[in-house]
Amino acid sequence: MTQLILFKDIDEPGLATLEVYQRRGGYEGMRKALGMSRDQLIAELEASGLRGRGGAGFSMGKKASFIPKGTMDKYLVCNADESEPGTFKDRELMQKCPHMLIEGMIIAAYAVGANRAFIYIRGEYELQAQILERALEEARGQGYIGEDILGSGHSMTLWLHRGAGAYICGEETALLDSLEGKRGNPRLKPPFPANQGLFQGPTLINNVETLATVPHIIRMGGEEYAKLGTPGSTGTKLVSVSGNVRNPGNFEIELGTPAREIIYGLAGGPHEGREVKFWFPGGSSSPVLLPKDLDLPYDFDSMAKAGSMLGSGAIIVIDDANSVVDVALKTAKFYRHESCGKCTPCREGTNWTVRMLERIDSGEATPMDLDIMASVQEQIIGNCLCVLGDAMAMPVGSMIAKFREEFEAHIEAARERNDALTTAVAPPEALIQGAVA
Amino acid sequence: MTIDPIDPRRVPRFDHGSRVPGWDEAVDLTKDPAEVPDPATTPVPDDLRAAIEAHIAKYPERRSATVPALREVQERYGWCTPEGIEQAACVLRLTPAYLISVATFYDMLETRPVGRNTIYVCTNISCSLCGADELYTTVRDEVGDDPEFNVRSFECLGACDIAPMASVNGTYVGPISLDEVPTLVQQVRDGAEPLPDKQLARRRSVDPNAASRS
Amino acid sequence: MPRPETRMVTLSIDGREVTAPENVMLVDGAKYGDVEIPVFCYEPKLGAPVGACRMCLVEIEGIPKLQTACSTPVKDGMVVHTQTARVHAAQEAIVEFLLINHPLDCPVCDKGGECPLQDISFGWGGGRSRFIEPKRHFQKPLALSPLIAIDRERCILCYRCVRFSQEIAEDYQLVLQERAAHTFVATFDGHPYVAPFSGNIIELCPVGALTSQPYRFRARPWDIEGSGSVCTLCPAQCNVNFTVRDERVLRVLARDHAEVDDGWLCDKGRFAYQAVHVDERITRPMIRDGGELRPVSWERALEHAASALGRAQARVGAIAGGETTNEEGFLLQRLVREVLLSNDVDSRAGGSLSLDLHRALGAPAAQATVSDLEFADAVLVLDCEPVDDAPILDLRIRKGVRRRRVELAVATSRPSSLDPNARLRVRFAPGCAEAFLLALEAAIGTAAGEPRREEVARLAQAAGADAGAVHALADLLTTSGDDVVVLWGERVTGGERGEYAGRALLNVAGRLGLRDRDGAGLLCVPAGTNGRGLAEAGVLPNAGPGLSEVEEAGRDAAGIAAAVAAGDLVALYLLHTDPLRDLPNRGAWEAALDRASLVVAHAAFLTEGIRAHADVVFPAESYAEKEGTVTHPDGRLQRLRPAIGHQGETRAEWQVLAELARRLGRDLGVHTGPMATDQLVAAVPFYAGITLDELGGKGLRWPAREAASAFPAPATAGPFELEPPAPAPAPNGRLRLGTFRSIWAAPEVEVSPALKFLHPRQRAELSPADAQRLKLFPGDRVTVGSDGHSVSAIVALRDGAPEGTVFLETAIPEDSASLLEGPLVEVRKA
Repeated sequence: MTQLILFKDIDEPGLATLEVYQRRGGYEGMRKALGMSRDQLIAELEASGLRGRGGAGFSMGKKASFIPKGTMDKYLVCNADESEPGTFKDRELMQKCPHMLIEGMIIAAYAVGANRAFIYIRGEYELQAQILERALEEARGQGYIGEDILGSGHSMTLWLHRGAGAYICGEETALLDSLEGKRGNPRLKPPFPANQGLFQGPTLINNVETLATVPHIIRMGGEEYAKLGTPGSTGTKLVSVSGNVRNPGNFEIELGTPAREIIYGLAGGPHEGREVKFWFPGGSSSPVLLPKDLDLPYDFDSMAKAGSMLGSGAIIVIDDANSVVDVALKTAKFYRHESCGKCTPCREGTNWTVRMLERIDSGEATPMDLDIMASVQEQIIGNCLCVLGDAMAMPVGSMIAKFREEFEAHIEAARERNDALTTAVAPPEALIQGAVA
Repeated sequence: MTIDPIDPRRVPRFDHGSRVPGWDEAVDLTKDPAEVPDPATTPVPDDLRAAIEAHIAKYPERRSATVPALREVQERYGWCTPEGIEQAACVLRLTPAYLISVATFYDMLETRPVGRNTIYVCTNISCSLCGADELYTTVRDEVGDDPEFNVRSFECLGACDIAPMASVNGTYVGPISLDEVPTLVQQVRDGAEPLPDKQLARRRSVDPNAASRS
Repeated sequence: MPRPETRMVTLSIDGREVTAPENVMLVDGAKYGDVEIPVFCYEPKLGAPVGACRMCLVEIEGIPKLQTACSTPVKDGMVVHTQTARVHAAQEAIVEFLLINHPLDCPVCDKGGECPLQDISFGWGGGRSRFIEPKRHFQKPLALSPLIAIDRERCILCYRCVRFSQEIAEDYQLVLQERAAHTFVATFDGHPYVAPFSGNIIELCPVGALTSQPYRFRARPWDIEGSGSVCTLCPAQCNVNFTVRDERVLRVLARDHAEVDDGWLCDKGRFAYQAVHVDERITRPMIRDGGELRPVSWERALEHAASALGRAQARVGAIAGGETTNEEGFLLQRLVREVLLSNDVDSRAGGSLSLDLHRALGAPAAQATVSDLEFADAVLVLDCEPVDDAPILDLRIRKGVRRRRVELAVATSRPSSLDPNARLRVRFAPGCAEAFLLALEAAIGTAAGEPRREEVARLAQAAGADAGAVHALADLLTTSGDDVVVLWGERVTGGERGEYAGRALLNVAGRLGLRDRDGAGLLCVPAGTNGRGLAEAGVLPNAGPGLSEVEEAGRDAAGIAAAVAAGDLVALYLLHTDPLRDLPNRGAWEAALDRASLVVAHAAFLTEGIRAHADVVFPAESYAEKEGTVTHPDGRLQRLRPAIGHQGETRAEWQVLAELARRLGRDLGVHTGPMATDQLVAAVPFYAGITLDELGGKGLRWPAREAASAFPAPATAGPFELEPPAPAPAPNGRLRLGTFRSIWAAPEVEVSPALKFLHPRQRAELSPADAQRLKLFPGDRVTVGSDGHSVSAIVALRDGAPEGTVFLETAIPEDSASLLEGPLVEVRKA
């Protein structure tokens, strides 16, 4: 059985309060950390092999080590804008154990010398924001946040900043712009946030789950933590499984657990009489995988090798009752809606893709349109300012590549349906109206 | 044979679904330019000013309080009204145009009048695999043209474990079956808790390993 | 702050070795090797690149993904490819994406023929589109302001216009709304985009989405010619390019000059060209006949003026307005001094200063340049409002603050539009610059350890300023760094005590060590466009050309008015000025004009003084017709070149002045425009050797030339022993009168059809506290008066306005504040 780290006793009553959290050993990691030097802390984080849990999977210790030393204003930002479709792990963590995140942030801020920290939580998470606000008040009351924390000489502020509904703000530079009170447009990189982030100061940005893991790493020791999981993907990971499964929810697994065990073992597999048709291994931005990929170990490297990615750890299962065209259209529409509109390929490419898919769906397309659509995806990939364009182009491209026959059959069927309609007696007036709708 | 003149409004391509509110709007040349509102001529309610200033105090730069300030305006007036935006702009020392630019970027900020009760139905992939599109149309039909409601189909709300779900005045509820919709809508009309048993706040972890310990 | 040094680096682009300055972006660096990389959103004038359009993707060896050349600085040894299949595919993809919703209505688009989208589609696009969905269609064009039309179908969302509004002009009025493919450019709630610099977005737009309302459908690019010259509508003297079709100016574009305008124009400079071709313009000579001005022949007008001036012998006073060129000013003072044998010639509105003070304030060693405003450690804006007085300097100051973190301090009577950008704001009572400067000097002394705190308190009180703020300003100026630039308005040295205020300014400059320091110094914003040039050409009562001594000093402008009113002078010669508009104390001038037996005026418009009092009117050239030079406040001589022929019967004014002199019996020896320039250069020692060819298109700063050593040294440049002035009067229930001249208060604005709507009407700017005390509300009509004179105004409240002061506009036709004497006035509900 998986050794639980983040989800241990997650449903214990009152865990969201400081009292219960501390009774369970909470804030011990922080006390230990405040007695260590900053270099030691970063060394521990690097030794743990912890990779970012938000989507990119970049080494957290390395990221922290990029923050320049010195006395300038430095910032720590927690990315709690969890909006990748299919992802809801941070939500449960913040709702049930907010102090774990706060403790992780205090340690991380101390490690990089940041005096101002923010949690950027998506606007829709009302309940979680309230719980976090309460927890932050408690932590301030205990002197864990404020001036000279527990005599360590380290001072910090930590505020909760609520977003207002924009997927793109999960992109770290867009998040920074949003936190600065602007439209959430991604920035050009370089400069990277570690050098010039929030308010032009060096900034460490990490996901909720990443930061919540930090106290455990300090408590256990980095090397001990690294024994969990696989050498390239250490530790445990919260996986959100949703879609056509019997038992959707968050599960803590050791990285490297076979995907089949997660989807069938933990989440109960598809409903009676249904089969997995395809699945997104890491949120809707990841290229889809097929049933034959189910036995792959679920970790960063194996998913990348299979042509997809682990992303935020959100598995969406689609069973054989669903049409791939519907899923592609849903996916594309989402990204069209959420594109910030700043760069050309993403803004125009997502729009064009949706309109082509709509035509395919309504039977006004030919198989040649599939080639155009595939080529449009290629024109998007790699040419955008941030990864949002790619996030649509890669899964949609993968669906066209892997289910081309189904797309063609769909076009054919829809056309036949249309032909039947037009040969039926219909007043021209209604036809025009119909075309509009 | 006579040919009817073509009415451009009837030609499908001119009525294609890509119309965007605002694109066809010209300015009103009789208005003055909208500069940073002068406190001398822009009265701001004291509590709104205090709330916005409390947000400003959290950040090294005032501008950061833009979204929190807009949320305050929306809470107070029901939506981001032009007057409310001017008041927030006055406190933030920004132009109202800057604020409207930010407000229109974010889905949760309303820049046109809406009903007081907000129901966001998630219709993203996971939820729609579980029947969210039907849920959305059912909720819409049930609400009808009640002006007190603001029903929107929303992108992933981060609660795919309770799909299909909705955020009802900020409270996550799910999974919602279609026959529960009339009850839900009535509860909102009555100001009661929406489907208490289905609220996310009460849901326990489904991880068999985590559950076994508690 | 020292300017960054440029090192050159060598890189390879498409196999060519290219040497370019370090840290320039690849797009610009490539130009050094004659390689063009297409761009839409990139515009270095707008600040840091945004990388939005993705048109400039290139391949850089060692980097797997294509990179945007607009945001990648060149580095030594970099190997770049712009012609590979990958790059071509990306470029074609971007063009295809951009054209998806672009209407391609080039045949009816103003931009057609000079459109970057056309050029780039042709040069880098694939020449085909696979997009068969219906394009978006919207109403077009829509008004964005009375000056600008917006066509949202054509917009490619390059961000240039909104970046201009937000990061250059900082008016934050034009923004993007909505998100993704729904994004569009708009203002708040249907308010028009009206701001002093709004027109720049037309020029920035790389497609035909933003077009000039006055220029729409007036010409196609193949119908027009460009003609470079200088805008003389304000002292900023921006470099412009007139678009000319069939001898008519149809448009004004910026002509980038980093040392003058940084490539921007204000809306007055951009749209007031319309005044060149309006019916209101005077294009024929006129003589007053039976109480009315009637057109006559040149012969008759010249003969009439010459004989009348001849009769007035030596009892003539002459005033040159700010738009007078160096040559015209030079010839005017020759006409007055050599031919009419009078000494009474002036070009300053605020009264005469000693020759020594002119020499000390104008000395090359104390002179700061326009670009110093950007690179200074600290800038003090003293008693001027850049956006009104020399608009383009406002942008330069903002740029310095934003990009180079210049410490800005604003010390004025009236709240400034730069206040939000300033580290420090100090207010003093109108007209109390002298006491304020003395207080500042004492505070700088205090900062250096001298026991003068009480003196500061006393002087600050006399200036109506807060002593703490004066100390803070002294600290800021002494601790920010050595390069301090003081941008001061000519009004500092205006009025009876102008001489002493000027000396106080020199004391402050001396204290701050601004003399003989590159990158630091004083920069004056004169009241008139060519204020500096006219002083140097000798249009001062106490100085000849080159600020030389004159045998006998004459009367200054106020003295001339008094002398005419008293009958000591009988004739007035007004070169491009209407004293009722341009000069203070309108009452005195009305009396003088009434009494004068002869008023000869060169004028382009019949403003009230000219209409009612001129006896002979010569049609004045517009700046688009003029030939000659003007001198920028920082000493740059700039050349005006005729863009169009003379309109109507207008003649060159150097010619009129020379002709008058000839008819009065003296040949000035000027038969062409350049001959006038030669005479001027010969007469001003520190201009020695300057030729029109040397001035070229970019002008030339004489203080940076060797001949500057010939500048006459003042007997002393300070420090001066100065007595404290009388304190500012206590309002005692009345209000102090402050005045200002709006950017829009100009006859050219008044008559330009497009700009008319901006021409100001009198309003009384009050602090909320005073309004409350007087029970006044915004929009109320009030009369503001002192000693029998009063003007009518509308109440406008302003939060930052200092309590106890009311501000009124000058230089407007009706209800101008120059009718009031001050310093105290009463405000009453009308």
